[in-house]
Amino acid sequence: MEPIIRLENVSFSYKINEKTKVSVLKNISFSIFPGEYVAIIGHNGSGKSTLSKHLNGILTPDSGDVWVHGHNTKDVNKKRSIRQAVGTVFQHPDNQIVATIVEEDVAFGLENIGVPREEMKKRVDEALNVVKMSPFRHRPPHHLSGGQKQRVAIAGVLAMKPDCIVFDEATSMLDSFGRKEVLQVMRKMNNMGMTIITVTHHMSEAAEADRIIVIEGGQIVMDGPPREIFKHKLELENLQLEVPSVSQMAEVIHSQFNTFSKDIIQENEFIEEVEKFHKEEVGT
Amino acid sequence: MSSEFEISRSITIGQYVPTGSFIHRLDPRIKLLVFVILVVAIAFNTSYFGNAIGLVLSLYLFWASKIPISYGLSGVKPAIPFIVILAVLQLLFQGQLFSDGRVYVDYGFVLITSESIRLVVVSAVRFIEIIFLSSVLTLSTSTTELTHSIQSLLSPLKKIKFPVHEISLITTIAIRFVPTFAIEMEKMMKAQASRGADFGTGGWWRIVQRTKEMFPIIIPLFNIALSRAEDLILAMESRCYTPGGERSSYSVYKAIAKDYLVLLVGLFFSLLLLFYPFPF
Ligand SMILES: Nc1ncnc2c1ncn2[C@@H]1O[C@H](COP(=O)(O)OP(=O)(O)OP(=O)(O)O)[C@@H](O)[C@H]1O
Ligand SMILES: [Mg+2]
Repeated sequence: MEPIIRLENVSFSYKINEKTKVSVLKNISFSIFPGEYVAIIGHNGSGKSTLSKHLNGILTPDSGDVWVHGHNTKDVNKKRSIRQAVGTVFQHPDNQIVATIVEEDVAFGLENIGVPREEMKKRVDEALNVVKMSPFRHRPPHHLSGGQKQRVAIAGVLAMKPDCIVFDEATSMLDSFGRKEVLQVMRKMNNMGMTIITVTHHMSEAAEADRIIVIEGGQIVMDGPPREIFKHKLELENLQLEVPSVSQMAEVIHSQFNTFSKDIIQENEFIEEVEKFHKEEVGT
Repeated sequence: MSSEFEISRSITIGQYVPTGSFIHRLDPRIKLLVFVILVVAIAFNTSYFGNAIGLVLSLYLFWASKIPISYGLSGVKPAIPFIVILAVLQLLFQGQLFSDGRVYVDYGFVLITSESIRLVVVSAVRFIEIIFLSSVLTLSTSTTELTHSIQSLLSPLKKIKFPVHEISLITTIAIRFVPTFAIEMEKMMKAQASRGADFGTGGWWRIVQRTKEMFPIIIPLFNIALSRAEDLILAMESRCYTPGGERSSYSVYKAIAKDYLVLLVGLFFSLLLLFYPFPF
């Protein structure tokens, strides 16, 4: 299968001034395939945001290449189609809403790529529907909660009909309720076939993905399904990361009752295991 | 006690009050145009009678748009110090320029005549009328409608390469961030106050003191504004924004008969105020 995004030996450094450079990405290569749900984790300053800015050509590598649908992000003529194919939702809900009315903001990207008005109306409706924000379409954004604003930002990206959406810590400013709303939308879009890349500090969020990429010092140190990654508790701890809290709890229980599985990464698995365990205990 | 921090509540700009009145449903472009010609007409009218008409008209517009007059008054209140200072200055120093009419006081450089009193009264009333009119406009028109109207009224200027769209985008973003910064400012004032800073203990007329109190807020606010701007640029670019690029437009407006009728009425009043020789 053709990858949507392919990185080949990407290195990047920020220039602080004439002499000093901060080297952030070091020789990174990986591919993202259609329909994948990928989480990128790593501690603060490990280069995750820098990496995600490479995925739609906001930044271009110093050496190496990023290919989106076979187009190099360094090709200025392809900039528009690359950004249309890979949308980004950022961390601060407030800093990515441009317009003063929800539906106008969703239309902003469509206006930029010159979509005709009738088509625009249709796409705005659809996008607002997916994120369940249609009732709020005439509201000004400052009357919305953080989770709602973030869903508006998602609708704005979704309306562009991208093949892939990158979330750069899109839930980190939200409370647990707002985070749930956004995660549900992400899951739903992935089920509809959208490729999702999410940068996160919440391991429970990473556990939702099909694949986790762990970044440390601008390099990929682990890449695999969550269940595999979270088996390496010690390595993760060395990278200042931890396993999801349900895994930690499961392990504690496992050390007391070894019939209780410790191979648990999601909340619902944990609940199922407790139910099973309870039945067995009561049964005997 | 808490009231001095609640800036976001007392900001009336961009505070659309949706009552669904006749005024609300007018084509915003016509509304803006009528507003502009009325303001110009009022600005040039120097008669008591003409300004009385203007005042009654602006009060009528509040009634017609079903917006409580208290909104208009809250817009006038912060302007009172300026109106008062202006009036005093005009009364003391402008008399020599308006020396016609009856002389009331002639003492040193101070010359107060019936004409200079007219100037003082008319300027004050004019100020209030204009505040009322702009309040009706902004309270009955959403900011989006306003910026779209500005854009479409200026669009003939595109021919001479005037960046009409950019101007309207800048306005939209500015308006969009007013409440955001108000909230930010509140947070900072609370933070500073909890470290002992003093806000709003002087009366509202002590302009210098109240301005000085704002300094420790303004500089961090600039900082925040800049970092937000950086984020915003990133988000806009990610959504394919290209400065100067061809764009399509989401909202379109269509003026109908009643809009043109309102335009006619507005024109009539403006011409009346501008050219009719009012007796006093
Ligand atoms: N615009 C910039 N100019 C210079 N250095 C930068 C810039 N942005 C980031 N850096 C540096 O690059 C490194 C990686 O930053 P990046 O934002 O990619 O990390 P991150 O993994 O996203 O961190 P976080 O989890 O805090 O979001 C950091 O050391 C940071 O100081
Ligand atoms: Mg980051």
